Amino acid sequence: MREALEGSQAIARAVALCDPDVIAAYPITPQTHIVENISKLVAEGDLHTEFVSVESEFSAASVALGAAATGARAYTATASQGVLLMAEVLFNIAGMRLPMVMTVANRAVSAPLSIWNDHADSMAVRDAGWIQLHATSNQEAVDTTIQAFRITQDTELPVMVCMDGFILTHTLEPIDLPSHEDVRAWLPPLEFDRKLDPADPKSMGMLVTPDFFPEVRHSHHSAMQKALATIEQADADFESAFGRASGGLLTVEGDPEAKIGLVAMGSTVGTMRAGMAHFQAEAGPARLINLRAYRPFPSQALRDAVRGLDHLIVIDRAISPGLGGILGSEVAAVLSSAPDAPRILNVALGLGGRDIPETLYPDLLAAVRDPDAPAFSVFDADLKKLAPEDR
Amino acid sequence: MTILTRGAYGEPGTSLAFKTGNWRSTERPVHIHAKAPCHAACPAGEDQQAWFAKLQEGKAEEAWRVLVAANPMPGVTGRVCPHPCESACNRAALDGALAIHNVERWLGDEAVKHGWAYPVDAPAADAPTVAIIGAGPGGLSAAYHAVRNGLRATIYEAGPEAGGLLRSAIPRTRLPREALDAELERLCALPGIDVRFRQRLGRDVSVEELRAEHAAVLLAPGCQEGWEWSVSGAVPADHHEGLALLKEFMDHGQFPSARRVIVHGGGNTAIDLCRLLKRSGVEEVTLVTASALPGPDTDPADVINVVPRELEEALEEEVAVIEHATVNRLVMRGSRITGAEIVSLKKVPGPGGRKKRVSFEGTERVVEVDMVIPCIGERVDPEGLNGLVKRGYLRPDDAWGTLGEKLYALGDARGDRGTVAEAIGDGARVIGAITARLAGAEPLADGRAEMPASGLNPTYYERLPKAKAPKLPIEDRTFDTEIEGDIGGTATMAEAQRCLSCGDCLACDNCWTFCPDNAVIKTVELARDGSHYLFDLDFCKGCGLCAAECPTGYIQMQPEFAVETA
Repeated sequence: MREALEGSQAIARAVALCDPDVIAAYPITPQTHIVENISKLVAEGDLHTEFVSVESEFSAASVALGAAATGARAYTATASQGVLLMAEVLFNIAGMRLPMVMTVANRAVSAPLSIWNDHADSMAVRDAGWIQLHATSNQEAVDTTIQAFRITQDTELPVMVCMDGFILTHTLEPIDLPSHEDVRAWLPPLEFDRKLDPADPKSMGMLVTPDFFPEVRHSHHSAMQKALATIEQADADFESAFGRASGGLLTVEGDPEAKIGLVAMGSTVGTMRAGMAHFQAEAGPARLINLRAYRPFPSQALRDAVRGLDHLIVIDRAISPGLGGILGSEVAAVLSSAPDAPRILNVALGLGGRDIPETLYPDLLAAVRDPDAPAFSVFDADLKKLAPEDR
Repeated sequence: MTILTRGAYGEPGTSLAFKTGNWRSTERPVHIHAKAPCHAACPAGEDQQAWFAKLQEGKAEEAWRVLVAANPMPGVTGRVCPHPCESACNRAALDGALAIHNVERWLGDEAVKHGWAYPVDAPAADAPTVAIIGAGPGGLSAAYHAVRNGLRATIYEAGPEAGGLLRSAIPRTRLPREALDAELERLCALPGIDVRFRQRLGRDVSVEELRAEHAAVLLAPGCQEGWEWSVSGAVPADHHEGLALLKEFMDHGQFPSARRVIVHGGGNTAIDLCRLLKRSGVEEVTLVTASALPGPDTDPADVINVVPRELEEALEEEVAVIEHATVNRLVMRGSRITGAEIVSLKKVPGPGGRKKRVSFEGTERVVEVDMVIPCIGERVDPEGLNGLVKRGYLRPDDAWGTLGEKLYALGDARGDRGTVAEAIGDGARVIGAITARLAGAEPLADGRAEMPASGLNPTYYERLPKAKAPKLPIEDRTFDTEIEGDIGGTATMAEAQRCLSCGDCLACDNCWTFCPDNAVIKTVELARDGSHYLFDLDFCKGCGLCAAECPTGYIQMQPEFAVETA
């Protein structure tokens, strides 16, 4: 039976269903409710795990790293500055190919201080070598979390499940939580054969000389490429077991004959979906692409998804100052080798939690038809709020 | 080919492939046991640092045993040696050289007092025997080292007693008979040493016979004959050669009467003679020497080669010295001397770049004297040494004293020696060569470098006052009582603490403490070089802190890779 659950609460329950051995997390808005709910489950005896209270995100990630190295199923969660404080450890976890799952309740990064949502935090560690999956809804976040534990042990790559802070974490939604038995049946026990074991000693995180470093990076990239199939397979298996999928690598919806397409990640997809439904008449037909797997990047799936489009609007919720949208730049790079690639309009929306109303949808479609529209803009920025010299 | 593990984890042992030593700078630390300068300077080959280390542990007998591994007569050398060890001592720059000779003498006397046994075993009854001519310090040292090396030794001594010059020419004020006899008796009584007295070379034994019967023949006859001396052909009627005069005085206790005497020479015999003459009542005793008195501006090569303490005491006793001078002319009345013309010497470049001393014209002055005693050195008495003596000496080919097949020379008779310690060192060297050659090998020199004061880190040494030996006041000095006294056990142990341990490990832990990479492992068990530490070169970055903070210079930085030279 479905339960009305806050996003964070649902995530805590989903994590508990996966029988983690060790959880270490440090509270930070908007991730706090996840940690609170997990500690509540532990306190009430509903979750049997080693819950380690730490003094910082650096420690949280380090404890999770150490636990994973011993072959334990490890979990942590953070957001924003917490991601940045973890950054060094995140690279280590990935480089050591340790399986673990982390929820990022996406939030803008200081300064200026903002507690609201955008994707600057997970984007800042996009090159750490983690798998990054985005959820458009809390149900997807729950299901993706369960899938993530399977993906991570199949690929030996850590998985980051990104869910928009507040928009998802603090929203109540009717959630269908699978039963503990079903999840146990679907998620095999973690068997990590490189684990630290006093009876079979080994060293981890050692110095690698230039003799081997390029090979390390190559194998990491190769593992990420192979993970594309694992992610798709996990979602397909999940669907056959539980009756719903979470979006594989990406999903395509809308009018297949449309000449205009949109690409978005996370909760923005839901907003665009509503906009498309409500403004189809005035805005015309469009195709909506939900990019669920950001790392590894589903380059071929994206090339296939945009086939036939003349225009592609790429919605970013983070920017790389001096370049433009991060996702937009990557999509452009990937499509540069596609025949008849659509013209790209890259917009940043909802930075630092700026609300994205569905009324923005017809404006976007109008903008893409304007041949003079800039290739990239912070679309919802009101430049009148800036001194002329700062525009 | 190495296959990379997933996540680059390391199997046991594989971290060796990732050792941080790959990053070491161009130098690595090594333990180098350099020679302490005292050891390098010691003609007898003593390792003073090694026996001082035992004394620092409070182990006097062990210290003596280490000492006598080189020199079996510390009681003698502690009294008569000019102790170049002290001149070389790195502590001189700090707060005064160690009083090595006083400590050596104390150890020698303690050994006699307590009957400490020499660390030697009786050689096998059928061990090879060496024949030694002369029971002076060189011959006795050779016999002792022969026994230490498992050989037997027979000494042929022309006189009725052992000791050579120690007995015949060194005044009792420097070397009391009791001290000499005690040490020599113990030495001569060692199993495997057979001393035959009144056996004169040429009369009772011959080199050829001995060579036929023994594994080797060692010639240590000393120098018994004075060089002929004359000034422009003039020889006074009552001419006395210095060493002969000294020996006569040692036997009879009397000098020919004279009021004003010039002693001409620059060695210990000359100084001894000056002092004895002065003490016996000669009004004016003047030493005329080509060498110089020690002083801040004096070239060390020019300094008169005598025991510094003896010179100091001679000056205290008002012996006059005319340095850089020679006797140019004798003023004679008939065959008797009434005066001597002294001339200063100057140095001019001679052939081969060597400086040569020549008379400085215009500096001649006449001194009124009634005796001139030359002490210009002695030569080998050629009796029984036909064909072996070249220009007064035996002049062997090498440091090992090799004269020919199974024939060796040592001590003063070599012609390039002049001290008791050198003769003692020769004894060890010659026996070392014989032992090596009996085993079919060639002797090897110790090529270790010497540790200079600049190699030490003096920060870690406390300033400690030097031990001072008691000295007989001038007015109490006679012909029999020893002038320099014993410093005693307490001062000896205190003095031992002053040793800097140049070039050897002190186990001070500085390297272990300072190493920023924990690359110094403290282990007595595994440190086979006698230190307490190992360098873990897998982690050492070559920073050199250990070497910089090593007080003794035992840790030195060496180039990581040998530089290839064209």
